[in-house]
Amino acid sequence: MRKLLAIWAVKILSIVGKLIGRKSSNAPGVVALKICPDIIRKCSKDIKKGTIVVSGTNGKTTTNNMIYAELKSLGFQVICNKLGANMIGGIATTLCQEANILGRIHADYACFEIDEASTVKIFDQLTPQVMVITNLFRDQLDRYGEIDITMQKLKTALKKAPKIKLVLNGDDPLTASFGTLENVEATYYGISEKVLPQINEVKEGQFCQQCGKPLKFEYYHYSQLGNYHCPSCGAKRPKIDYEVKNVDLRKGMNFTINEKPIHIDYKGFYNIYNVVASYGACCAMGIDTENFAESFKGYKPQIGRMEQFEFNKPVILNLSKNPAGFNQSIQTVLQDRRKKDIIITINDNYNDGTDVSWLWDVDFAKLNDGTMNTLTCTGLRLYDIALRFKYEDIHVDEISADVKDAVRKSLNTDSDVVYLLVTYSALYATQKLLKELKKEWEENLCKR
Amino acid sequence: MQEITILHLFPDLLNLYGDTGNIACLKKRLEWRGYQVKVVRCTVEDNQMDLTHTDIVFIGGGSDREQKIVCSKLLEKKKELTEYVENDGVVLAVCGAYQLLGKYYKLDDETIEGLSILDITTERGETRLIGNVIAQSPLFEQPIVGFENHGGRTIINNHEPLAKIIKGYGNTGDTGYEGVHYKNVFATYIHGPLLPKNPQFCDEILSCALRRKDPNFKGLEKLDDSLENQANEAIIKRFG
Repeated sequence: MRKLLAIWAVKILSIVGKLIGRKSSNAPGVVALKICPDIIRKCSKDIKKGTIVVSGTNGKTTTNNMIYAELKSLGFQVICNKLGANMIGGIATTLCQEANILGRIHADYACFEIDEASTVKIFDQLTPQVMVITNLFRDQLDRYGEIDITMQKLKTALKKAPKIKLVLNGDDPLTASFGTLENVEATYYGISEKVLPQINEVKEGQFCQQCGKPLKFEYYHYSQLGNYHCPSCGAKRPKIDYEVKNVDLRKGMNFTINEKPIHIDYKGFYNIYNVVASYGACCAMGIDTENFAESFKGYKPQIGRMEQFEFNKPVILNLSKNPAGFNQSIQTVLQDRRKKDIIITINDNYNDGTDVSWLWDVDFAKLNDGTMNTLTCTGLRLYDIALRFKYEDIHVDEISADVKDAVRKSLNTDSDVVYLLVTYSALYATQKLLKELKKEWEENLCKR
Repeated sequence: MQEITILHLFPDLLNLYGDTGNIACLKKRLEWRGYQVKVVRCTVEDNQMDLTHTDIVFIGGGSDREQKIVCSKLLEKKKELTEYVENDGVVLAVCGAYQLLGKYYKLDDETIEGLSILDITTERGETRLIGNVIAQSPLFEQPIVGFENHGGRTIINNHEPLAKIIKGYGNTGDTGYEGVHYKNVFATYIHGPLLPKNPQFCDEILSCALRRKDPNFKGLEKLDDSLENQANEAIIKRFG
């Protein structure tokens, strides 16, 4: 009975939320958990074939949605927290919304992205067959604490799921170390050739997880991802089960996974990791990956992941929320050789992390490569980001709290493209504003 | 022109969050005034430092695990560092490094021995003290603004605090004071890029180093700090 009440509560709260224009996917689930504390266990029992979860600092949403796209393309019924509500409330909300009014769920598979810190609580109720861990970077120290704490939490969670199959990023010494735990079965994915120029950034995991001595890297892809070994104890990058090679970043991205060619139409080197992680997850789950390359044709990048808006020139919105993510964002922007205006929005709300110290771990100097036309700093921490540029000797053209005005201005410059790099809490607001501006722009076009 | 040497101790281990902002700030504010600056990194691996040719030592924050690794390395340098400080050498120690300058840092199940350069002791509290900080130092007019995130509670005994807390937790969360100022040592829990938003604090540190190097030092040339001051004031307006 409690289960039904919890499900109805979520359904009603979701409708009310929509009516008053508040799209919280976490809050209804929190209420459901109060009514029925084991609602996740009760609902997830109905999932017929299996559950895959994705955790790690960056790439959770994209990887999880790619797994979803693959499963859907094979004709399965799939439950997924697509919009990224990844704490315990979000998982409860997703399951309750999928249940019918009699409390039954009809689904073959579930794929959930899960916040690293929430895995311990969620694994009390949910028993996934497969878990992907994408990477571990420094992120929101005020909320998560140090990386060591996050790793400890993941280890505690894994003890609660003894038969789980881990799919791990073998290029990340921190993530790969989960494969050496007792009672886990792990496979690894990785990119087995040097692709990008080596950049100067703060790197985690420079010390061997087994013996504590410094690691040696043959090359880096970015941050601490690369090919490494420990000269002291002999630990090294594991044998890669899902191996990317033949990377070509010129037209979209082309590469091979275990020699099968893959083409994707969007940018961002890190997306190669997301693709191969989702491939590995499907293999570990025993899903047929024969037509894996095909299933991507229908996949659309999520909100604010290199999302493009067409005006008189393209305006591209990209989430950039921690040093590793921001450095990748900058790399992707730099691969576009057109003359560009860049607008950066830095907020310090709870979802962003209230501490913006991380801005100093981003290699912003790289932006100054001669293709930048104007640079604008906005957001609640506009002065912090402007100062960051000042101490890099990069000229900031405008410091303004008004993002809309900043976009309008850049539409009128002689640049060819505009990039908006924003932190998490600014993402939806910026997307909304771009849609409004687009409408405004189209109306003006008609008037002429 | 004079050359100033900044020694960054163990940047490969103690670099928790944006510590490089402090190095960048010290360096740029000297260069903008025409000084030559050399930044020397003493990493865990090469473990070489020469304090006789050092004008400013910077030590940043690390996780508890990293602090344990660093501690033994640091203790090898105890004598040298103590002499440097007693000879008015300039040190900026942030967060974890602040704790390690003291006698010990007591964790739940073990005690990390510190350098005992400062007569202070630290114990881990039950909660972490996290948030924006505003504090007033007697050394300069502009309030210090920044962010703290620490589990340790530090008792500073007879030392002078660096500043009086206006907003935030500080050394223990209830004494109302933040950090320690001893001779030319500036030690604080305000972590990461502390100096860019606190140009007067940065210049105070630079002045100490230049005065020590040159008895005829006449003071620092003024810079255009309007952006730095705006950033400082914005924090006070929002959180003060």
